[in-house]
Amino acid sequence: MAMNRIFIAPTGDEILNGIVRDIDSPEIISQSLAAFPQAEITRIKPIPDIEHAILATIEVLKEQQPDLIIFIGGSGGGHRFSKSLSADYTHSALEKALDEYSSYEIYGKNGHMWCKLVIGKLVIGQLDIGQKKDTILLNVPGPYVEAKAAYGAFLKSMTSGLNLKEINRAMAEAVLTLYPDQTEQPV
Amino acid sequence: MERQYIIVHADKSVLKISGLAIKGLNTAQIESILGSRLKTSVRIIGVTGDALEMDVYNIDPEQIRRDEAGLIEAVSLAEGITLTDLTRMVCSEKIIDVDFDSIPDQPLSACAKERWTKWQ
Repeated sequence: MAMNRIFIAPTGDEILNGIVRDIDSPEIISQSLAAFPQAEITRIKPIPDIEHAILATIEVLKEQQPDLIIFIGGSGGGHRFSKSLSADYTHSALEKALDEYSSYEIYGKNGHMWCKLVIGKLVIGQLDIGQKKDTILLNVPGPYVEAKAAYGAFLKSMTSGLNLKEINRAMAEAVLTLYPDQTEQPV
Repeated sequence: MERQYIIVHADKSVLKISGLAIKGLNTAQIESILGSRLKTSVRIIGVTGDALEMDVYNIDPEQIRRDEAGLIEAVSLAEGITLTDLTRMVCSEKIIDVDFDSIPDQPLSACAKERWTKWQ
């Protein structure tokens, strides 16, 4: 499946105000260009950690009829447990916006949700030609190594023809391998 | 909608350093610096203009606290971080296991730990 129009949407107040340098977007651009050399790729202005801002961004981007939208960051339990952590709304916003999706949650043994990866399809009408197209939306975690691994797994599994659930699992497994010396307990 | 989940039994401590001046931080660089210092994996999980919060795997919090001065010096090597007179380690705690059977299933939108804490 060719991806001709790709949007990268970093999230997080710390990215927006420059406290943290956005090193994930260049990595995702690089991987995207390797997989889809013809693609037109746009990195949009970082979105604040507000659920309705993420939803509003999805509405705006739909008008561009993208093939793929990648959201970076906001994938953990974050503020729901620790007040010192940033607000993580990306996964919940995606679940609200998507017509069809698969999600994979990674919990620590402390019960805290360390990461939730969501991937799904958004049906976008192309009124000018009377057809509809699917846009793939997904999120990757904010930490650089996790974003790199998750997106690499997405590209590999998507180009292999796997379905959404299988791609979702492959992305989560790529993130899981980055946790050292752990045993996993599937639930 | 397909929902899958997994519990990871990795051992980690949460470390926070406050009293920093942060602008333009390269998180991959500081994870590398601290990982080399502590000889383990480090993941930055929260950054504000004056504090860093991170996960440190497979190391005892007491061991981290004993090396506070060395860690703060290491942090100062990262691009985008300036130490201040107030720089200090404010917490280093190991995560606590919970009994997953005791965590209420709902609401799914909340973090499991939040549900567990409320249930307690």
